[in-house]
Amino acid sequence: MRNKTHNEQIERWAKYVKDNPSRWKEKLKPFLDSQIIISRRFYSKLAETEKGRKKISLLRNTKILISS
Amino acid sequence: MKRQVDDKTILDKFAERFCGIIEKYAKYMVCSGFVAIAHGRTRGTEDIDMIIERISKENFFKLHKDLIKNGFICMQSDSPKDIYDDYLKSGESIRYVEENEGLFPPEMEVHFAKDILDDEQLKERIKLPLTGLNIYFSPVEWNIAFKEELLKTEKDMEDAKHLRIIYSSEIDEDKINSIKDRIKKMRLKR
Repeated sequence: MRNKTHNEQIERWAKYVKDNPSRWKEKLKPFLDSQIIISRRFYSKLAETEKGRKKISLLRNTKILISS
Repeated sequence: MKRQVDDKTILDKFAERFCGIIEKYAKYMVCSGFVAIAHGRTRGTEDIDMIIERISKENFFKLHKDLIKNGFICMQSDSPKDIYDDYLKSGESIRYVEENEGLFPPEMEVHFAKDILDDEQLKERIKLPLTGLNIYFSPVEWNIAFKEELLKTEKDMEDAKHLRIIYSSEIDEDKINSIKDRIKKMRLKR
């Protein structure tokens, strides 16, 4: 269960988005993109070895072979 | 609302490119987490959920071929026949990624509409101008109802809360309650 201040943060940010439709995206974009960038960087590093590639296949439940 | 193309996130661009191809072959809608994220919810995801109408195998082959031609790859199999027979037809989802990103996130998780609730959402699918995206979403009331009645994780409840605040003056509460009743009858009955 998250705490009260976490819920307050959700409300505060949602209200900001509602009140600033042309501004919220520029603030959020670096945060959202960074998660994809970090994930890709991690998987690329993991894909450098055979063992790492097998782990990726398990993690991502894929039958496609991951290349290095 | 002024928004620059440069404001679009990696997820936004991926979703618009993918949806642009799907739209040529099937009625689709994006639902669940990305609906909240596209409305500014501050949380991560590595996949976007998409429901498409049930299409014939022949039509799916064309759709898959077009996706491959445009640099997407299916994580489950290279064979469209296997993807259709072993996954889509049996109600399982399939996942596409961009090949030039080394098969890494984001992913589009695609599945066929499985019942009348999905069919109705597809009929009511809508573009949501507040997102600034040229893609179809399932309506906000449907998303809130599914998150609060069926999914119910902390993340989903927070997504619903976010959408309720964004659309506080537009939301049809009677519609949400009616959808929740139908979810209870159709998805939660044992």
